[in-house]
Amino acid sequence: MSLIENIEKQFANVSNANVVELRKSAFTAFEKLGIPSSRHEEWKYTNIKTKLNERLSLTPADSQVNAAVKNYIASLPPYAFRIIFLNGVFHPELSIVPDTKGLTVCSLKEAFSSHTTLVEKHFGKLVNYNEEHFAALNTAFVNDGAFIHVQRNVAVNEPIYIQYFFTASDVNAFTQTRSLAIVEEGSSIQIAEDFRNASNINVQYNHVSEVYVGKNASIDIVKLQLEVSNSIGIHTLESQVERDGRFSASTITFSSPNTGTSNAVIRNNATARLIGENAHADLNGLYFGKENAHIDNHILVDHVAPNCTSNQLYKGVLNDESTGVFNGKIFVRQDAQKTNAFQSSKALLLSNDASINSKPQLEIFADDVKCSHGAAVGQLDENALFYLRARGITKEEATQILTYAFAHEVIDHVHSKPIRQFLCDKLKDELKVNF
Amino acid sequence: MLSIKNLNVGIAEKQILRDFNLEIKPGEIHAIMGPNGTGKSTLASTLAGKEDYEVLSGEVSFNGKNLLEMSADERAREGVFLAFQYPVEIPGVSTTNFMKAAVNAKRKHNGLEPMDAKDFLKLMKEKLALVEMNKEFTSRSINEGFSGGEKKRNEIFQMAMLEPTLCLLDETDSGLDIDALRIVANGVNQLKNKDRSFLIITHYQRLLNYIVPDYVHVMYGGKIVKSGGKELALKLEEQGYDWIKEENSELV
Repeated sequence: MSLIENIEKQFANVSNANVVELRKSAFTAFEKLGIPSSRHEEWKYTNIKTKLNERLSLTPADSQVNAAVKNYIASLPPYAFRIIFLNGVFHPELSIVPDTKGLTVCSLKEAFSSHTTLVEKHFGKLVNYNEEHFAALNTAFVNDGAFIHVQRNVAVNEPIYIQYFFTASDVNAFTQTRSLAIVEEGSSIQIAEDFRNASNINVQYNHVSEVYVGKNASIDIVKLQLEVSNSIGIHTLESQVERDGRFSASTITFSSPNTGTSNAVIRNNATARLIGENAHADLNGLYFGKENAHIDNHILVDHVAPNCTSNQLYKGVLNDESTGVFNGKIFVRQDAQKTNAFQSSKALLLSNDASINSKPQLEIFADDVKCSHGAAVGQLDENALFYLRARGITKEEATQILTYAFAHEVIDHVHSKPIRQFLCDKLKDELKVNF
Repeated sequence: MLSIKNLNVGIAEKQILRDFNLEIKPGEIHAIMGPNGTGKSTLASTLAGKEDYEVLSGEVSFNGKNLLEMSADERAREGVFLAFQYPVEIPGVSTTNFMKAAVNAKRKHNGLEPMDAKDFLKLMKEKLALVEMNKEFTSRSINEGFSGGEKKRNEIFQMAMLEPTLCLLDETDSGLDIDALRIVANGVNQLKNKDRSFLIITHYQRLLNYIVPDYVHVMYGGKIVKSGGKELALKLEEQGYDWIKEENSELV
């Protein structure tokens, strides 16, 4: 069976011919693009071609629920709503789906048939699959994911926790998951996407999120990549913010090793496109690299409309032989006068063998804007370390405390209180800080 | 309790302390005065274990143990406390959490369990009162945005929390207005007891109006050139350091 036939078969039940056509053209685009090599400018420091297994399969691994999945779900705070996917398959029996007026949460597969108009209008419309290799692949072959729609003027007060589990398979599955969130005018919602390797051996996945923030609406999204050892994860987050809308994304990556060697490769592409006046975007990130983990954050804030504001705050802590990449771009179009855009990237290198490639970029075509960026790479402040040690705190603990203080600022920006608390606890665990 | 013998210390290949000698017994208050650049702060930093300072030769024994072999944090857990001349601002760490970590590090060193939350809060409340500080101080990041006086009071607060046996005050009085000076001195006076010794480094005799020293030493050219009682401080206040410089011109 050819891959095109495969797509047609997968979506035989998708009544909307337009969506099938879009996916076919995404596949055609992927055929041309292929997997990027490090010669590609955007993949210069992340040689993904050599990291991905050569014989990847688009058939997902078995989605039988194992003990690791159950234990992790049990360890989560009691969120009001949770949506669980395992290897790209929705598990309604593990999920708590909201039944709130004006709010729809279901699997993307279900939405393809039950919300055809919305899907047709939004699915694949934010990602640039003609140029983005993995967005093209995902658009063509998406397994499943979450669909969220909030009608006008609805404030959703409890966060929607979307859990994507992955387990290893014999066939080297390259699982394609995807979220689509549409929040209409005047509404607000908080969403978490938690990605977790539920086996101790290698998993590969490619995730896309498309997020639409309507007029005067607000979305806070937190991407959790909390134990990415032995995972190769490629994430694309595309958002569009209309007039007076507010979008905030925090991407938290911890490469805590659980097997002694972390082969994690995490790539995060995050884009916020501000298309209406007075829109605001926060794109924040915190990443911890250990052993030979590789964590790459590519950020783009695209100021299309005038009078918009944006902030980027990225902080990294790199240990052992881990490597980081920060590529943050602010793009201010000609019409985007009175833009106020700020970017800050800071990385702590806690070992001589850790390294980071940091590349801030400003491209400004309007003449009345305020833009600034700052990038710093360094070690912990020696004076601060001595101050703590002069009070009897060991060097090790002082290092942990100062690293906690450095990292905590990013978590402080997470709006949802239960998720913020959850992350704060994770950070304390990670750093063995016990206050 | 503290015995310094023929201590020679340098930093960046420049020798600062030269054959420095000092004995401090339990419960004594010693003041060290002297012009700028004579090695007063070097002495304090060396005793606290700052690694930038290189001990070239000499001995320092603290309660019978070799202080120079201990790391900075070990010295603190053993009971040495340095009130910093320039307290460090640490954004993101509250004074409460800082003190919790410090108090429990010392307890662990002494084979004790971490202090329970209720006792800790009680202890904090009691020690805050000593330096007339508000509870809000402790929930703020360490020294961040504090005035000069607040920073120095925070040093004395930490000293009170950790109950050291040797307190090194490095120009704690510099830059303080009379009110803050009174609070700081009052804190020190309340902490004074028969087992706790103080080494107070100062430029100004003013502090010694509030804290009465048992001994006053004058440092010049990296060593003590004159020792006496509190009347020596008064003489320095009246006559300045010129007569000291003249008497010891061969040292510089």
